[in-house]
Amino acid sequence: MTTWLHRVTSSRVALRVPLLVALLMIIISAVISDQVLRRLSEMQERNLQGLVESYLDGVSASILPSIMRGDVWEVFDVLDRSASSYASLDLKETIVTGSDGSVIASNHPANRPSFSQLPQEFLDQFRSRMVEVNQKTMEGFVRRDLLYQGQKVGTIFTILDVSHLMGERRNVLVTLLITNGVLAGLFAAGGFWLVSYMIRPIRTLENHMRNSSGGMISLIDNSEIPKGDPEVSRLFHRFNELVKSEHEQRDFARRLAEEEKLASLGRLSSSMAHEINNPLGGLFNAIDTLKTHGSKPGVRETSLVLIERGLIGIRDVVKAMLATYKYERSQTRLSRDDLNDIQILALPELRRKQQELVWEVDFDGTFSVPAGPIRQAALNLMLNAIAATPEKGCVSFGATSNSESLKIEVTDEGAGISDALSPMLTNLDLRNQMNPGQGLGLWVIRQILIELGGSATIERLSTGTRICLVFHQQGTVAHANAA
Amino acid sequence: MPAEKLRYKRTGLIARRSIVLGSLTAIAALAFPAVLRAQADTFRFGLTPVFLSNDLELLRNLQLYLSARLNAPVELVTRRTYQEITALLVSGQIHSAWICGYPFVQFRSALDLVATPIWRGKPLYQSYIIAEHDRKVDDWKQLRGDIHAYSDPDSNSGYLVTQALLTENGLGKGNFFSRYFFTYGHRNVIRAVARGLAQSGSVDGYVWEVMRQLEPELVNQTKIVRRSEWLGFPPIASPKLLASDARIAKLRAALVDMKTDEQGRMILSMLKLDGFAVEDEALFDKIAAKMAIVRAAT
Repeated sequence: MTTWLHRVTSSRVALRVPLLVALLMIIISAVISDQVLRRLSEMQERNLQGLVESYLDGVSASILPSIMRGDVWEVFDVLDRSASSYASLDLKETIVTGSDGSVIASNHPANRPSFSQLPQEFLDQFRSRMVEVNQKTMEGFVRRDLLYQGQKVGTIFTILDVSHLMGERRNVLVTLLITNGVLAGLFAAGGFWLVSYMIRPIRTLENHMRNSSGGMISLIDNSEIPKGDPEVSRLFHRFNELVKSEHEQRDFARRLAEEEKLASLGRLSSSMAHEINNPLGGLFNAIDTLKTHGSKPGVRETSLVLIERGLIGIRDVVKAMLATYKYERSQTRLSRDDLNDIQILALPELRRKQQELVWEVDFDGTFSVPAGPIRQAALNLMLNAIAATPEKGCVSFGATSNSESLKIEVTDEGAGISDALSPMLTNLDLRNQMNPGQGLGLWVIRQILIELGGSATIERLSTGTRICLVFHQQGTVAHANAA
Repeated sequence: MPAEKLRYKRTGLIARRSIVLGSLTAIAALAFPAVLRAQADTFRFGLTPVFLSNDLELLRNLQLYLSARLNAPVELVTRRTYQEITALLVSGQIHSAWICGYPFVQFRSALDLVATPIWRGKPLYQSYIIAEHDRKVDDWKQLRGDIHAYSDPDSNSGYLVTQALLTENGLGKGNFFSRYFFTYGHRNVIRAVARGLAQSGSVDGYVWEVMRQLEPELVNQTKIVRRSEWLGFPPIASPKLLASDARIAKLRAALVDMKTDEQGRMILSMLKLDGFAVEDEALFDKIAAKMAIVRAAT
């Protein structure tokens, strides 16, 4: 019952309200039916009692002298004739006994012969002057003691057929059930139509809201705004204002992201220039040394080693640069190389903060998710972890996969991510407001999680924070070699 | 009060009734001139339940016919019991009555025979003992232990014949039938037996046969167990006190001439009778003999 009720109350409004109306109608009709049947029953019993009293009064007056004489025939004759006079009573049997309890006459003498005694179980059915109805046998039982000068001279026992009364009650009940059922159905249908009509604007809103969850949020067209309903009109205008505000905020966030990207690019270019500049100085020194002392094998050897190391450093920097701009691979399936790029990209920051990287990637082959967004999200996490971890600290990066999901874990030795910003990753349903310049990287991760249907958990450790991203296989991602 | 205690006991019944009626006769004789003067214009004709007195059309026709023939207003007097009509007749409160043969022989000294109905060509009829139609019974002796319905304690066919039969067979001590009651009408005896109120009954054979034609659905629920010998048909009698009244002679003539009169024939047709005839009182000797048998036993 509670499950059913819960289903009803949690179903659509257009269905819920008519169902509740129908339920209410059924309850009301049950109460009304009960009252009607009770009143009908009381009326029937009152009428029946009145008729029976009238019948017994007539019979008593007619047979009293005959009872005094013990006149079998006269008593029978009165009972026989009165049965047809009181046809509306549906008399089944009337028996008259004398003062000694023996039958004087019955209108069905074959059942109750004159001069016989009535069995006790028969007498037990007649408790009072009032009609006692036996629902099982559909019979009414009533008795009347006949008094003469204060002395009991006989008794009349009457059995009535009350099946027609029961039938009448049954007919009324059926009529009530049918009428109330039809009314409940009509009210439910009317309620359904009315509620559907009333919530039509809400449904329009709902459709627009539903579209917005897929990134397709759109304004309600002016043609859909009802002119004659100021409340709904006001609501739709408010919604459009919200949508416009949302659009503006998105544009702002996008611009902010672009600016952040450019800023990152600037920082990266600066770091790269720095990274290239350092070995370049060494290279020039080595070339100068070679020019001056190149004839000495030891010096030449040392200089070449220095030149090679410097070129390797420059190559690494160039490689990182390439990894950052692998746009052509951004929509291909994720491979181990994509994750290795993160190591390369994070290396300058790790070096800058003299931090140790624990690299545990148990992932071979490819995984069916777009490589670009995953790499971006992982890199953001890494940069966030490096920023949160103190100098000379340790940052861990782990990646594991199975046939269904990919799990990326980044552990730092700091606060990782503040409690205020945590819901941005862990509660994707929440419409987080992004403050300019704060948590942009996390906002990008959040967008990627929403787009790819991933999820994030944040675990506070005694030594720091572990953030875990989980992505599921997607069927429409191209292979790298197919791109 | 137990029902059986209220019933008549046969012991002394007939003697007591005779005393009552005799007393009434004596009182009536004293008052006779005043009675007749008060009712000089109206001829009062009594009817007992032996007659089909429940037919109002028949009563109206009979009243009209007798009024026309007697050239005087006629009042039909009906009572519930034979005893009441007999008392009125013997006391001279009514001028004539259609009574049963049993009261006639009881008060033969006080009554004159006016005419006797002719049924099936004879002034005779029978008494029937009847039982329920589906009951398996061949002989009246198998009715022992029944609840029995009599018509009237002053009825020949509805009481005396059966009492005489029981007495003749040594069963007249009141223990042959377990219980009995009076219905005060031959039609009622048939109804009582048909409805099962009584298992058997004593009834006028003429009434049973006529009712079989008029109400076959009722009468066919019964069957005849025993027919008595032929006995004098219930006669029309008048008190000897009024023997000099010319209207008695006119009544006799009206009854005898009924078969020659159109309205009279209609009445006879309704009564299913052939006519009326003046018969000798000896016609009722057999009934008198039965009365003697029963009286001797009590």
